[in-house]
Amino acid sequence: MTAEISKFQFINVTKIFSDKRKDSRTVALENLNLAARTGEFICLLGPSGCGKSTALNLMAGFDKPTEGQVLLDGRPIEKPGLDRGVVLQEPTLFPWLKVTENITFGPRMNNAPGEEYIDKAKRYIDLVGLRGFENHYPHELSGGMRQRVAIARAWINEPSVLIMDEPFGALDAQTRLIMQELLLRVWEKLKTTVLFITHDVDESLLMADRVFVMTARPGRITMEVKVPFSRPRDAETLIFSKEFQEVKQKIVRVIKEETLKTMLEAKN
Amino acid sequence: MKKVWKIFNFEGAKEIFISMLAIAFAVFLWFLTTYMGWIKPLFLPSPQELIETVIELVAVGYRQISLQMHFLVSLARALFAFSMAGIIGIPMGLLMGFFPVINAILDPFVQFFRPLPKLALIPLVILWFGIGETSKFVLIFMATLLTVVVSVAAAVKNVSENRIRVARALGVNQYQLFRYVILPSVLPDLFTGMRVGVGIGWTTLIAAEMIAAHSGIGWMVLNASSYLRTDIVLLGIVILGTTGYLLDILIVMIQKRAVPWMGKA
Repeated sequence: MTAEISKFQFINVTKIFSDKRKDSRTVALENLNLAARTGEFICLLGPSGCGKSTALNLMAGFDKPTEGQVLLDGRPIEKPGLDRGVVLQEPTLFPWLKVTENITFGPRMNNAPGEEYIDKAKRYIDLVGLRGFENHYPHELSGGMRQRVAIARAWINEPSVLIMDEPFGALDAQTRLIMQELLLRVWEKLKTTVLFITHDVDESLLMADRVFVMTARPGRITMEVKVPFSRPRDAETLIFSKEFQEVKQKIVRVIKEETLKTMLEAKN
Repeated sequence: MKKVWKIFNFEGAKEIFISMLAIAFAVFLWFLTTYMGWIKPLFLPSPQELIETVIELVAVGYRQISLQMHFLVSLARALFAFSMAGIIGIPMGLLMGFFPVINAILDPFVQFFRPLPKLALIPLVILWFGIGETSKFVLIFMATLLTVVVSVAAAVKNVSENRIRVARALGVNQYQLFRYVILPSVLPDLFTGMRVGVGIGWTTLIAAEMIAAHSGIGWMVLNASSYLRTDIVLLGIVILGTTGYLLDILIVMIQKRAVPWMGKA
């Protein structure tokens, strides 16, 4: 990590939430250090409450660190912007806009020339497999389809980083598998740097180049895993391979140990 | 023959049919009660008598003014007050919802006046605005305005934080956020606020027409009651109730057209 400039970095990031009324302090993140190369698919893995969503908020610019810095292309992040695409667990589409209008929202709000973004929209609609649904409203789509619109809506702006907060968490198991494969296919074509948040170990190992395992109280990185599987990855065969199960077991064990430790400390 | 029934095959048709049956049954009970003499005509005129009253008031009028005219006068008073309440109230509510400072300034007054029965304000309104149309307008206007403002301001504050965050991540500035995200988001609530406001404003009509009016359905009810013309009182009440109901339905219909996504995604 020396000569190479990272795409994004967390440098000694600490985030503390203080509640003046209850007179309490929550250390959501403590001394977080993380660096991603351009085009890397990074995963933050951990149970609920471990601070991964807080890290995402800092990256997206929805919040600022208490200490430390979050950098994109070497510059600190000040506020949300088009260069950091965001896909949340809820699709959060604009219900009064059709699919195409939702997807082209970013370009339209930022004075992109019309012909350009109309063509781009068609391309992304094809990429996420929604051809034929251009004029549908969100309430006419299924959850998986809405999430695909959300992904296209973020990606059309060609962000430097695509930030995804458990985007498939609200979907059923079958849809989730399809969406994971879809995301990987699109990512292989576009090679955007991705910061992907999840609590699902299988998902993290399937999708990412590197997985950062996080544990809570305080939120910190417990383990970094370089995912050894070559691409393209086939979900069905990969998940049942011995190698996969070994890596998974290692991670699960670490998470379990850390969680127990925290619970015991809390008791005393 | 079966094709004729197809036009009744729209959604909610069954419920509307049941409602109409319920109303028909109530009217039948009413007719039966008066026909059997269980209640004296002074207290409850029969349906037939009411129809005669309608004919009389349309032809001869009440105090030289026809029934249609009374109705139109009331409707005009109310609609004008509703329109002004919407035109002023909606922007006011939007500003209060979006700017905490404006909310801090205006909210105490809104919350103070809103629960006051407008009836109690009559002496004050007469003192300030006289006994002409202005004071009647003020009462209905106030009642509707305060409801609309509160509704709209609350709607703005309730726009989901996730939606705002996602919009910001798509590069909107403050103006764009307001115009292209917040405004469409609160559109359904704008209609709901108007619906409730119009409902409340319409009930204030009678109070407003207590102020030295010479026309209007509300005035007609009050005037007729002092002459013990129960039939006219009852007719006036039926007209007031039905019109209020129809106004509500109208707003809901416009809402369904303008905001087709409401209650869905």
